[in-house]
Amino acid sequence: MSEAVIKLRDVKKSYGSGAARTPVLRGVSFEVARGELIALVGQSGSGKSTLLNIIGGLDTADAGDVEVLGHDIRKIGEKELAGLRNSSIGFVFQAFNLLDHLTCLGNVTLPASFTPGAKDVEARGLEALRRVGLVELAQRHPSELSGGQKQRVAIARALFGAPKLLLCDEPTGSLDSETGREVIEFFRELNEKDQMTLVIVTHERRVSSVARRIIAIRDGQLVDGEELALGAPGDAGGAGAGGPA
Amino acid sequence: MMPVGNLVGMVVRNTVRSPRHFALSAFGIVIGIASFVFFLGLSMGVRNVILGKIFPLEVVEVVAPRASFMGKDITKKLDDGTVEMIRARPEVKEATPRMKVAFPAAGFGMFEGQEIKFEVGGFCDGVDPKVLADDPKLAALFKDWEAAGADDPAKTVACVPPVVDDKGVAGKNPCPDPEFYYCDVQDNRCHRRVPVIVSPTLLELYNGQVASTHGLPVIGDLEQFVVERGGLARMRFTIALGETMVAGSAMATSDKKRRVEGMLIGITPKAMPIGMTVPIEYTRRWNQEFAGDEAASTYSSIVVTLNDKDRLAVFSAWLQEQDLRLEDQLGERFATAIFIVTTLFVLISFTIVTISSINIAHNFFMQVSERRREIGVLRAVGATRTDVKLIILGEAALIGVIGGLLGVGIAFAGAALVDWASATYLPRFPFKPPTYFDFKGWIIAGGLGFSTVFCVVGGYLPARKAAKLPPAQALAAQ
Repeated sequence: MSEAVIKLRDVKKSYGSGAARTPVLRGVSFEVARGELIALVGQSGSGKSTLLNIIGGLDTADAGDVEVLGHDIRKIGEKELAGLRNSSIGFVFQAFNLLDHLTCLGNVTLPASFTPGAKDVEARGLEALRRVGLVELAQRHPSELSGGQKQRVAIARALFGAPKLLLCDEPTGSLDSETGREVIEFFRELNEKDQMTLVIVTHERRVSSVARRIIAIRDGQLVDGEELALGAPGDAGGAGAGGPA
Repeated sequence: MMPVGNLVGMVVRNTVRSPRHFALSAFGIVIGIASFVFFLGLSMGVRNVILGKIFPLEVVEVVAPRASFMGKDITKKLDDGTVEMIRARPEVKEATPRMKVAFPAAGFGMFEGQEIKFEVGGFCDGVDPKVLADDPKLAALFKDWEAAGADDPAKTVACVPPVVDDKGVAGKNPCPDPEFYYCDVQDNRCHRRVPVIVSPTLLELYNGQVASTHGLPVIGDLEQFVVERGGLARMRFTIALGETMVAGSAMATSDKKRRVEGMLIGITPKAMPIGMTVPIEYTRRWNQEFAGDEAASTYSSIVVTLNDKDRLAVFSAWLQEQDLRLEDQLGERFATAIFIVTTLFVLISFTIVTISSINIAHNFFMQVSERRREIGVLRAVGATRTDVKLIILGEAALIGVIGGLLGVGIAFAGAALVDWASATYLPRFPFKPPTYFDFKGWIIAGGLGFSTVFCVVGGYLPARKAAKLPPAQALAAQ
């Protein structure tokens, strides 16, 4: 396995306290190598989104080690973590999470607002929109876009800072099947052409079909304590699969 | 922390996008700051008129308390030594003695075709001409023209007093410069008329009370008034020393009587409020002639100009140790009244602003709740907790600045309306000012500052709440 971008060791997370305490992650461990495209699958409430949030530093683990892009997420400061999200990690959400009062370009360049000394912001924003095929809609507002277009703008925003890691939470959950297929195909291209590492939370089979590896979670634990190595589409066997947790 | 330019841009965009939120938050602040600026400006304006024109507080009058023993007046005498002692005080800028005419005297003359008579004894002060040094025009005329060495070329000119006919009309003035000189019946020589100044208070009393009831013209600008009536010579009158209009005066029967001519040369706050004021050497000589040496060396009061009106209390305490006191300070009473009223208005304004601040907090809590997902997005793309807090506080501060500016604007508009209504509808009254307001720089700066600070205070707790929102929870919000 090449250099690990994500290393999780016995990650635990619960919500609530006392008698109402509900364990969500019960000691999850696995690694993701640079350039992998991972599908994180499981039923609703299985803990996959929580795991993704912990990897992205949007949530904190109660226990265990979380290392992302060489940073111990549980130990680095809030400012450093924000910088990591700003420059090295991109997020794509099921609900798009675009800001309605901003144009498409404004949404895409939003991360630059928090980057000291950011240069060529508009040009980079337009380039990100060009990559998702929406450069002509740069000055439109999200309310004027279809669901698929919104998601592509959200992807452009995630790509704006040229992240090393793209975390996607149910990215096709709000899209029709055709648009969803286009988005999945775009992710596959990102992975193959740019060697970008992607972790996609999904419960859709078509998404997991493009993944090189599927990590299944049930009740806060990896299914059977290990991952399902599928290999890239077209590959035979488990080429490129990571080892067991 | 995010770059300041980006922060400002984001704050402005967020504020502009929600006019309803802005209006709800800013309404109370606008009203509060408008009332704060309006009432403070009004207080300062009224204070300027009362304490600047009517009762100047930094100028006080020192007198000796009246005292008697076994029917004998043992009041402390104010003399040159007292003046020097007061001048030596650190809080004193200048001290000038005043000497009243200490014997009966009456004035009479013609004004606007009417014969006028008035009492001078007790209503005439002598002051050092130096008090008018800051008014060169008046200072050039307000001199002791009888003093040895005075620049008075006509002083030695002999003359024959004009004959007064049966109707009381005097013949032609024989002196070389009849506008300023008269022929004295005692020594048959030309004398410069005694220069007389009066106070704006007296002029206001004349304009407000006398002019209308006696069908006399209102005097606006005295200089213009004098020019229109043919020069200062028309402002002359006779001062009858040793005579009085007061029936039963113990000194009215005195044989010593003499007449001199006076001439009103100007209006200045340096003159005594009610009465006429002449150069002090005139009163000194007259007192010596009619009331004796003691009257010629005893001052009626000493006018003290303080370096700082806030040092009045210290000076007053020192005076008591010297068996002296301040003349009744109406200005001080007014100052206290103005302070109380101002404080009351400012408290009301602060109450409005404070309630507005609570309203802002409420609105921002709602905003934070409504914008949870947006806050989550900002955190996801790299905003720190501090950035989120600064964005919310920046929005609150911007509401404060805009609300403050609107409030100041409304206060100015309200002031303009009041001044216009006063000029248009209110009748003339003494010291009626062209404006009732004085919007000093610190009032405007204070209004904007309070507005901003109170808004930021109101936005602080919501901002803290927003900053503490865990990004994952914020993004999960519906």
